[in-house]
Amino acid sequence: MLVEVDHLTKTFRNFTAVNDVSFSIREGEILGLLGPNGAGKSTIIHTLLGLIAPTAGEIRIFGMPLSTHRAEILQQLNFTSPYVSFPPRLTVYENLNVFALMYGVPDRPAKIAELLRKFSIERLSGKPVTRLSSGEGVCVGLCKAFLNDPKLLLLDEPTAHLDPRAARRVKEVLLDLRDRCGTTILYTSHNMAEAERMCERIVFLDRGRVIAAGSPIEVTHAILREERATPALEEVFIRVGEGDGDAAA
Amino acid sequence: MQPHRIRAVMLRHIYEAWRNWDRITDTIYWPVMNIIVWGFFTLYFSRVNQLSPGVVSFLFGGAILWGMFTAFQRDMAIGFLGELWSRNLVNLFGTPLSVTEYMTGLIAVNFLKAMIGMAAAALVAWVCYAYNIFPGLPAMVPFLLNLIIFALAVGVVITGLIFRYTTRVQGLTWSFTAFLMPLSCVFYPVNSLPKYLQPIALSLPTAHAFEGMRAAIAGGGFAVAHFVWGLALNAAYILLAVALFRRMFDSARSLGLLVKME
Repeated sequence: MLVEVDHLTKTFRNFTAVNDVSFSIREGEILGLLGPNGAGKSTIIHTLLGLIAPTAGEIRIFGMPLSTHRAEILQQLNFTSPYVSFPPRLTVYENLNVFALMYGVPDRPAKIAELLRKFSIERLSGKPVTRLSSGEGVCVGLCKAFLNDPKLLLLDEPTAHLDPRAARRVKEVLLDLRDRCGTTILYTSHNMAEAERMCERIVFLDRGRVIAAGSPIEVTHAILREERATPALEEVFIRVGEGDGDAAA
Repeated sequence: MQPHRIRAVMLRHIYEAWRNWDRITDTIYWPVMNIIVWGFFTLYFSRVNQLSPGVVSFLFGGAILWGMFTAFQRDMAIGFLGELWSRNLVNLFGTPLSVTEYMTGLIAVNFLKAMIGMAAAALVAWVCYAYNIFPGLPAMVPFLLNLIIFALAVGVVITGLIFRYTTRVQGLTWSFTAFLMPLSCVFYPVNSLPKYLQPIALSLPTAHAFEGMRAAIAGGGFAVAHFVWGLALNAAYILLAVALFRRMFDSARSLGLLVKME
């Protein structure tokens, strides 16, 4: 297993954001971490990045405990989120150059040019981040996420703010990366149709707990408690949002 | 510690200094304006009260070195606040960058900026007011070093407090040195303070640095006692600052503040 999350709990004073969550991710797999707002998805991602200290439980990535091998693990991992940004006055190139240096990328200009081309944003290279649209900002975040050719990608709503064409391009790039390089991806999204297409397995969370895990169709069956021919994650999402997740858990 | 990650932090702030007028203003404009005001002030008093050249040197030297001290500690905190303001903190600490590497990069780049600001102020003092700090500088270097170490300790403490208490305490970035200034005896000797304040002043490395600097300017040679006291106090303050910073950072990480800071 590339990622093993074992009985992870995170409590903020009296609030339990993540409650005894366990899951694992196989190498080359795309795992969807889904759930309504406040389910604990972002807390889990931030804990996997070492930005939040767990209250209990253990995380092992690439076979190493995160608590003792943070730098080695993060060197081979990357992430993106629409909720973080870059220094606004620096240009796209300057921002990417800083992060490329941070990861020790050998030929930084060539790598940055390749990624800007991959996401069709070469024209933005010299533009300050403050003048980008939110969709363009997401693309820059994705370029940053690919700088170190990560073995594991944590993608928090990677297609948020993107127009359909750009979103499709991003999904193609991700699938291509998984197929060509065997990159493992942990994916969160509020777009259930996208999750059905992208993810081989789903971990569905509600109020910090895992309420179902398995393939999209298995999660559909587990939560809706009825036979379906095709996955219906949107219906699952609405059902959980209405408070029907407790029964499934 | 990986040098390339420290260089990345420095590069990020060099780009910022190049692109952001506020940072250029902090580095050069304020130190120069400060010296221009002090220059006119000393010119006026020289004419009216026949200030001795020694006093002029105290005033100019004090203004230049205090400016450097203030700029160093302020820019440390502003460097970190910049990450908060731009919501870049998660990006930075989601890389293998350690907090020690981050602080080392921040210290290195702000040391360079403080030196540039001090050089600009000294140049203006020399060109406009014929006050040349440079011949006397070798005698001041040990005290300058003590000022830099203390500025570093103050910068580390304020950055740690911002990690833990977020932008609620960002005002300390600009206000804390003003609190230290009267007790640091930048422009007057420690014995001119009320008796009850003198022990407090002497517990600050800055007061020892300025006492030593005045002794050097007055031709009294190298004030070993002030240098040693300053250094010993600095050792204690740095240890305390690093311990406090660690505690604040761990607490911020435990409370999830690194991802929620605004």
